[in-house]
Amino acid sequence: MKIKIHILFLPSYILMNCLLIFLCSTAIAQDIKILPDWSGIWERYEGNGGMFDIATTQPPDGRAGNPGVRQFPPLTKFWEKKYKQNLELVARDRLPDPISICGTPAGYPRLLALPDVYEFIIREEKTWIITENGPNIMRIYTDGRTLPEINERWPTYTGESVGTWDQEVLVFTTVSMIGEKNTVLDRSGLTLSDQAEISTRLFQNEEGLLRAELSIIDPIALTEPWKVIRHFRKLPPGTRIFDYACAENNRNPVTSSGKTLTLGPDGNPIDINFD
Amino acid sequence: MNYNLSFTRNIVLVYLLLSYFQFAAAHHSSAMFDKTDIRTSSATIKEFQWANPHVWIQVYIINSDQMREEWSIEGIGINTLFRRGWRPNSFVAGDLIQISFNPMLDGTNAGAFIGAKFEDGKILGKWEHIKK
Repeated sequence: MKIKIHILFLPSYILMNCLLIFLCSTAIAQDIKILPDWSGIWERYEGNGGMFDIATTQPPDGRAGNPGVRQFPPLTKFWEKKYKQNLELVARDRLPDPISICGTPAGYPRLLALPDVYEFIIREEKTWIITENGPNIMRIYTDGRTLPEINERWPTYTGESVGTWDQEVLVFTTVSMIGEKNTVLDRSGLTLSDQAEISTRLFQNEEGLLRAELSIIDPIALTEPWKVIRHFRKLPPGTRIFDYACAENNRNPVTSSGKTLTLGPDGNPIDINFD
Repeated sequence: MNYNLSFTRNIVLVYLLLSYFQFAAAHHSSAMFDKTDIRTSSATIKEFQWANPHVWIQVYIINSDQMREEWSIEGIGINTLFRRGWRPNSFVAGDLIQISFNPMLDGTNAGAFIGAKFEDGKILGKWEHIKK
């Protein structure tokens, strides 16, 4: 009798197991499927010598570091004054751009506006933005964690980022960036404070470009959220990415006054006047 | 060999060149270079420094007193240059070239690379701006 029952239930048992395996594999497949494929090598789409907010750059074709070139975020009066001071330093070739020292990263959000190339590496629990220039590594956690408590974080170059996937859009929030203490957004001298908080939506648009939509709030520097959009285009398959060691052969040290020198092959400055 | 270009033409050309070359955006400002002045000279390669953050082309140029002078010509980083077709042996000591650059504002013997033309006609960088 016992044997009969087992035989009778065997098809149902097998069917149940098959169904269970199918449902599990489908669930796993769906998890993998919703993560987009951003593999390959990318480069920034907008140039302008690294100007961060192309939409408000004046003149529109102005390049970062050229005298008179600036952008117009919704700055507080206090921060506009600071920006103008830096613009004056640019005009006198005395803006101390931290990345010219060859020792510190560009940080977020400037790392979205660098020359050379990028990699976007996605795993379910984390996404990395790797810039060849610098290099910089940005980590965005999507494992369900929340931002660290206030007393467990401090200002860093890329800050702390947590996010989620909304379909194929990576939505993340970044806080605890080091701000004006040792980063600029570009060589025009624009900065943020270390109170800035950035909400970013990163996705591939219909043209195939990676599109980063930033909404930046900063109670000290900005009067309202500052919207910035950056794009990246994919380079041909097989494009190579390399080490970038800024200090390898840096013949342009920066003086304490912010002037960039030019060294001759003997390692001595060839500039006529420097301080 | 020097070409005297009009100021206006220089401005337009330099804008076009910078749009392509984006000099020094990687590491430092280009404020020390005179972007309104394009010089083109015959030169002999002394040394090619293939390294980041910038390549350096050390060349000998004969000055107006027929004296040989060493010049330091700075390019962008090697990673982007590689992707544009440059290689570690793109310049070899002894190569005879025409080289085009923006000189330093202070008149010292250095400049920002624009383009080079080899004896066999090979071109690196931009050369279309040079009068045929």
